[in-house]
Amino acid sequence: MPEIFIDGERYEFEGKPKLLQFILDNGKEVPFFCYHPEMSAPANCRQCYVKVGTPVQNRENGEYELDEDGKRVIRWFPKMQTSCSTEITDGMVVLTQETSEEVARAQKDTMELILINHPLDCPICDQAGECPLQIQTYKYGPEGSRFEVKKVHKPKRVELGPRVTLDAERCINCTRCVRFTEEISGTHQLTISSRGDKNYPITAPGMEFDDPYSVNTVDICPVGALTSTDFRFKARVWEMNQTPSIDITGGKGTNVDLWVRDNIVMRLTPRFNAEVNSHWMPDAARDAYKLFNENRVSRPTIKVDGDNQVKTSWNNALETFAETLEGVKPKDVLVIGSAHASVEENYSLMKVFSTWGVNDYYFVPDVKEEFGDDFLLTDDQAPNTNGVKALGFTAQSTDEIKAAIKSAKVVVLLDGTFIDREVISSKDIKKPYVINLATNQTETSIAADLVIPITCIAEHAASYVNVDGRIQRSFPAKETKYTHRKLDLEMSEGRLDRHGTNFDNWVNEDNKIDCTPVWEFMNDLSKRLGLNSEFGISREIMDEIASSVSAFDGVSYERMDNENGIQLTGISKEEVSA
Amino acid sequence: MAFDWKSYTPVIIPDIPNLHEIDVYVQNGGYESLKKVLSNDWTPESVVNEVKAANIRGRGGAGFNAGLKWSFMPKPDGGPRYLACNGDESEPGTFKDRKIFEYNPHLFIEGALIAAYAMQVTTIYVYIRGEYRSWILMMEKALKDAYDRGFIGKNVLGSGFDIEFHVTGGAGAYICGEETSMLESLEGKRGYPRVKPPFPAQKGLWGRPTTINNIETLACVPLVIKNGADWFSGIGAEAHPGPVLYGISGHVNRPGVYELPTGIPVLTLINEVAGGMRNDKKLKGLIPGGSSTPILRGDSLEGVNMDADSLREAGSMMGTAGMIVMDEDTDMVEMLWRISHFYHHESCGQCTPCREGTGWLEKILIKIKNGDGEIRDLDLLIDLCSQMEGRTICALADAAAWPVRYTIDRFRDEFEARCKQSTYALA
Repeated sequence: MPEIFIDGERYEFEGKPKLLQFILDNGKEVPFFCYHPEMSAPANCRQCYVKVGTPVQNRENGEYELDEDGKRVIRWFPKMQTSCSTEITDGMVVLTQETSEEVARAQKDTMELILINHPLDCPICDQAGECPLQIQTYKYGPEGSRFEVKKVHKPKRVELGPRVTLDAERCINCTRCVRFTEEISGTHQLTISSRGDKNYPITAPGMEFDDPYSVNTVDICPVGALTSTDFRFKARVWEMNQTPSIDITGGKGTNVDLWVRDNIVMRLTPRFNAEVNSHWMPDAARDAYKLFNENRVSRPTIKVDGDNQVKTSWNNALETFAETLEGVKPKDVLVIGSAHASVEENYSLMKVFSTWGVNDYYFVPDVKEEFGDDFLLTDDQAPNTNGVKALGFTAQSTDEIKAAIKSAKVVVLLDGTFIDREVISSKDIKKPYVINLATNQTETSIAADLVIPITCIAEHAASYVNVDGRIQRSFPAKETKYTHRKLDLEMSEGRLDRHGTNFDNWVNEDNKIDCTPVWEFMNDLSKRLGLNSEFGISREIMDEIASSVSAFDGVSYERMDNENGIQLTGISKEEVSA
Repeated sequence: MAFDWKSYTPVIIPDIPNLHEIDVYVQNGGYESLKKVLSNDWTPESVVNEVKAANIRGRGGAGFNAGLKWSFMPKPDGGPRYLACNGDESEPGTFKDRKIFEYNPHLFIEGALIAAYAMQVTTIYVYIRGEYRSWILMMEKALKDAYDRGFIGKNVLGSGFDIEFHVTGGAGAYICGEETSMLESLEGKRGYPRVKPPFPAQKGLWGRPTTINNIETLACVPLVIKNGADWFSGIGAEAHPGPVLYGISGHVNRPGVYELPTGIPVLTLINEVAGGMRNDKKLKGLIPGGSSTPILRGDSLEGVNMDADSLREAGSMMGTAGMIVMDEDTDMVEMLWRISHFYHHESCGQCTPCREGTGWLEKILIKIKNGDGEIRDLDLLIDLCSQMEGRTICALADAAAWPVRYTIDRFRDEFEARCKQSTYALA
């Protein structure tokens, strides 16, 4: 096995890794700005300097030459090398800033130069707190500056496109954003304009930065030069909690983080998953945070006097639900699941109604033709189409579901987007009694006779199966109105600290939604109807699914967490498009 | 060694009227060298070896043996291979290639074709400084004539050798004279130097093997083929032989481009060839090879010759042989500021030390120039030079730092006279 010595320690390697990536992979650190593991290494920030040498080999027999002490003779490269662009070779000796004064000095020098024209406006900069420049300046930078002349001034508050705002003075010209549009999204919309210390990234004159993946440049910007127009000045990084979750606006199951302050989801950022989305997420998915905060259904709603919806109590809602069911036979009840809801929600719905006597379960896939690309956008608009299918819900066309609704007396609808995406019109559900389990106020929920508010992905732990058959799960990121011990149990794992939760001194009651997980409501319903089915927390529901539904064989929350999602066997990409 | 420069007969820009016209060039023995190598007894390897033996040291500034550079090209694999001819000539004080474009373009074209044959390249690009508008047009005309005569194109002179030849103009960036950013510019991209390795011989234009040569270097090639490697290496200084175009500018009576052998004493060039100092002033300083080469004091030039070794001993470099002569009235602070201003303006902005450092150098020099500088600013300038030298992808940071370092080192008294006492020491 080829070997390399970094700061005197021996490491083995395979293939031809680049030195910086190898150092990072082995848990050591070298500061850098321009390098990004998914893109080419331009070696332009000159921050990742290390000292590199190779052992002297005898030309004839290829053996290493040794000095008097029996140690290998090292031939040092005359100049320090940028580790991001240096390829590892067998026997290489590397000194980082930890062991070499020269390297530490060089890194400090570069840092001093980077900072001379940087505005140092951290107190008003959105990047502060998660800024590689800020962090590395504290770690490796000079204590002060010897720069006593005027800084360069460049354009500020430039709207590059609908979603990205540029502050050119903060830019350190790492070209990550430019390379992103060249190498990842392929739109080539950004370039560097001007020369020397006047340069900054910009679009071609008259062009907008409307790349469907544009906000990723904000995420990879190592300073606060590119900021999200939507998020800028809304919250400081250290005031928010970061909770892992899944994107619900598409079928790809892009891994995201929810950033929450005072029970409001402030923004979504991509979370690395090599199997799904790498470091990226589409811009469209970034708007999903609004779904978690705005226009939520809070407290059950019931229709009185024709079309008039009024708030009602949970008891009354449950009673109305149960009485409605008791008034009809199971064959008159149409249960419609949803690809927008999780596996656990659909399962608990199906379980209770099966025990009660309903045999057929339907859902209508949410597909927009020609919407997908070869990257992270999919034709499938729902996060869990494969999951609902695997549970045994039958996909229906618009006409089929309309006919079914016509012959039903009661419709239990988990999907809150039916009217909104024109599967049916509000006229089609005039006749039957419609019970909608809804997260948000939609055209559908407004037309329903009874609305049960349910938790959204930001409030519960639940799993979703993406278009490729990969099951991944969410964590509760914000609290519901009333203390919910079962949800809190999962939350303690999801949130790093408890800012804004019931455990926090600064708890804020204003932004909590009065809703419940579907399985909790199904528990109550099943008790009320005298049925023998009881659900625990979603973790236990998944264990139950794994033992009863063959597609989910071997799936558990532990495995999903350890393996960053599980590829389900038996679900392939072909099935989805068919 | 007293060399009788007056008896030297120019060979790169010989005194023949209308030599830029192809008929005149052919009448005077033009394209004979090309015919010679394309005849059966010259293999590509033998051409490379002949040029290697002649020891043509690159005239673009680095002074690397051209034949040796050619031998770095990998073996042909059937794909495209390129020769990129560097006529960007943007180093201040350098204006020699312009003379070749103007007076003897076909000598360069012939040299490039021979080089193309030796390295078996498929396409030649000549990259000419964008400001040289008329010389770009002249080169296009010369190429068209050569195409018409069958010196370029398919099956050149019936030998079975195919070659294409294109002219490209620069867009006004100094950095595009750096070989890898010239390749980027030729590809139609922004002129950013590339990280090496891979070197252009492995991955050059569009990822294919490419060799980059200076115009003057290639113009020497037909002469080597015609007269033999021994003839060429016998001219001028032993380790740095051949005829060179000296571009002399500044405070002399007759500035201009002079073709003479290497190794001519610097003082002979200034006092005799260029007609002596203007207004009989004293020589204060000399930049021997373009603005980035370290300045030499006027009183240290006795016995210094214009070749790589002698200039290295004196503490400078041959560069492009673009000599900038300065008389006793020159303000060194002002001069250095002007050079720093140039490098600040021309830094491409890719690497941190150069992008930020060049601007900082200039701003401190402005401060000193305006009388606001302190002695410690001089130490800061030298310190900044160490922070820039050798820490960037290309050599522009070195080119920007050396003038500062050596001008302050060699004329420190003048700088100190402009500075106030430091209020506190340099941190």
